[in-house]
Amino acid sequence: MDKVDAVIVGAGAVAMVYAARLAAEGKQVLVLESGPAREAKDLISSQLWARRLKWATPHVDEFGGEDRIHFNMNAGRGYGGAAIHHYGVWPRFDEDDFRMHSKFGRARDWPISYEDVRPYYDRVQQFIGIAGDASREPWRPPGEKYPLPPVPNFRHSQLLERGFIKKGIPVSPMPLAVLTQPHNGRPACLYDGWCDAGCPIGAIANPLMTYYPLAKAAGARFQADSHVTRVLTDKSRSRATGVEYVDPQGQRRTQMADLVILAAFTVENTRIMLNSSSGGLANRSDTLGRYLMVHPALTLFGLYAEETQCHLGVSGGHLYTAQPDKTGNPDAVFGGRHWEIGLVLKPNDLLGVAMTRPDIHGDALHEFMKAGSKRMAAMSAICEDQPLAENRIVASENRDEFGMPAAKVIYRVSPDGRALADQARQEGLEIIKASGAIQAWSGPLAAQHIMGGTIMGNSAEDSVCDGFGITHELGNLVIGGQSTFPTGSHANTTFTIHALAERTCDHLVEHWHDIVG
Amino acid sequence: MAATMDRRRFLRESGRGIAVASIFGPAIVLSPAEAREQALPLKVLSPADVLTLEAAAEILLPGSAAAGVAYFIDEQLSRDPNDSLLIARYLQVPPPYTAFYQGSVQALNGFTLTHHQKPFAELDVETQKQLVASLFPEQPEGWRGPPSQPFYLCLRSDAVDVVYGTMEGFAALDIPYLAHIEPESKW
Repeated sequence: MDKVDAVIVGAGAVAMVYAARLAAEGKQVLVLESGPAREAKDLISSQLWARRLKWATPHVDEFGGEDRIHFNMNAGRGYGGAAIHHYGVWPRFDEDDFRMHSKFGRARDWPISYEDVRPYYDRVQQFIGIAGDASREPWRPPGEKYPLPPVPNFRHSQLLERGFIKKGIPVSPMPLAVLTQPHNGRPACLYDGWCDAGCPIGAIANPLMTYYPLAKAAGARFQADSHVTRVLTDKSRSRATGVEYVDPQGQRRTQMADLVILAAFTVENTRIMLNSSSGGLANRSDTLGRYLMVHPALTLFGLYAEETQCHLGVSGGHLYTAQPDKTGNPDAVFGGRHWEIGLVLKPNDLLGVAMTRPDIHGDALHEFMKAGSKRMAAMSAICEDQPLAENRIVASENRDEFGMPAAKVIYRVSPDGRALADQARQEGLEIIKASGAIQAWSGPLAAQHIMGGTIMGNSAEDSVCDGFGITHELGNLVIGGQSTFPTGSHANTTFTIHALAERTCDHLVEHWHDIVG
Repeated sequence: MAATMDRRRFLRESGRGIAVASIFGPAIVLSPAEAREQALPLKVLSPADVLTLEAAAEILLPGSAAAGVAYFIDEQLSRDPNDSLLIARYLQVPPPYTAFYQGSVQALNGFTLTHHQKPFAELDVETQKQLVASLFPEQPEGWRGPPSQPFYLCLRSDAVDVVYGTMEGFAALDIPYLAHIEPESKW
């Protein structure tokens, strides 16, 4: 294909924002996605069939460190990316998340503040349609109130709420990118609990139903099964000239472009940049691949004497409470965390009823399935991880099917993140017992929302990119998504990556000629 | 509520007939249970592999052998890993998954031959139960092959998938399935 104005790598949530916005400005946009094209009709309500929405290929070696980042569960493959199976929990990052060093002497500050991002949070929530009740969220940073009323409270979340009330912990409706009323041409949720199998009606912020139609209507072109291996540059490595990719027929091709946007999720953004130049592209600071983070997450369960209807609602839960005060923890553990309360439970799958008690088998498993499927409730603690330089992605000695070095992940949960999760386990068990459960137990520590690796900062000496995601060393190479986060907050990331992408798009449009040269 | 149900019915009906054609190419005409009942030719696994997997799965979740757990695994192993419905992809088992399943079967039988002089499927049920219980969360001493814990977790989950992960399975648990787009029963 002839040279285009912008080539975008990946077709997930952030890529869709860039494609829609730039195409609407008349830019010629090509999106290259490694996975398949997907349509709403592919989103079958089944935990088995939903497994195809995620990666299975062995291009990420997670066994280089003490802990796992659970890449296959977190990432997505194909149009829509990870957001096609996400839960739609959309809290904002806190003001303090942007000023960690100046306020706490920890980690580093972002080169932008909450106030820089705030108008974009407001813009995105109006377009997407977030349901919630801001008046009941004392922890929420300033911003417009939610455009939609909150989701209903289902029996299983009502039961858990009882425990929080008894413990004196305030809860609010969950801030959810799930439509409780028709909004912008999309229908309201049916509360069937199939969010993570992909919502074919688009009641959740499924990129196939939000920015993708805008991008298509504006003329953006999408090419599936096209695996980008490298960013191409001029000889001085100060300008990106395009990308190299392997097309659906297995042929290696180049696509030239004035602007290159990497929006291929945390691990892939880093892997492509590591493979683009000896020592890694835009890596004068030696931060490429470093400061890898997750949200250490813990799910706890209760079994009740009464029926809970835990198969109903939205996957991510119905109630929320946050403890964002990073230094207010009674045990002096640093960082914020929140609870997602009343997660839907289906019988099977990694997050289903059966796997909550992997030790049970035989006839006892049948009994447990009968009891659990009707009488359980679940809630998750999402904790803040701290960025550690030694947590990183490096090029593996193993190669993928295209001859590209796989990503080797070296990661361990930060001590603060682990302590927050340990504390949450104790607190959560007490809450569930207080709610009237006849049994309460905890699942293992898990990882959600992989972040870092191409972090933003003030200069090429300390980071890969600036506050717009534009690399310090190549002025026409943009990185999108949570790989740019220098700190991780406790808040889920999808809202913030949308807001940042909208902000960068405004900047690109306004300064297009300066940026593309 | 009537409008909701109408919309649900519309979605269900509009999804019918699409899934098999668009996802799998040539249609699969039997469920795993039917494939087992009709003794369909295996694609990847050997009959001996199936014997062992069914025996172990039956200990993990009685009824899963008849539900076709081994035929389900066999069908999934014959596909590109990215099209596979196996939970192995979530449990960090590196594809292709055939090596994992066959290596685990070999390890299980190797262990029982060493300690009981019989392959797993020929052991009495009580011994099978004790052995399966020893696979997770620890690993039996002397186990040789892929770690026993992911084998236990994967096979247990495969068994749950075929017994309870279907519309029929939900019905058996007396919970409504409430699909936007119903999965095909032939898979």
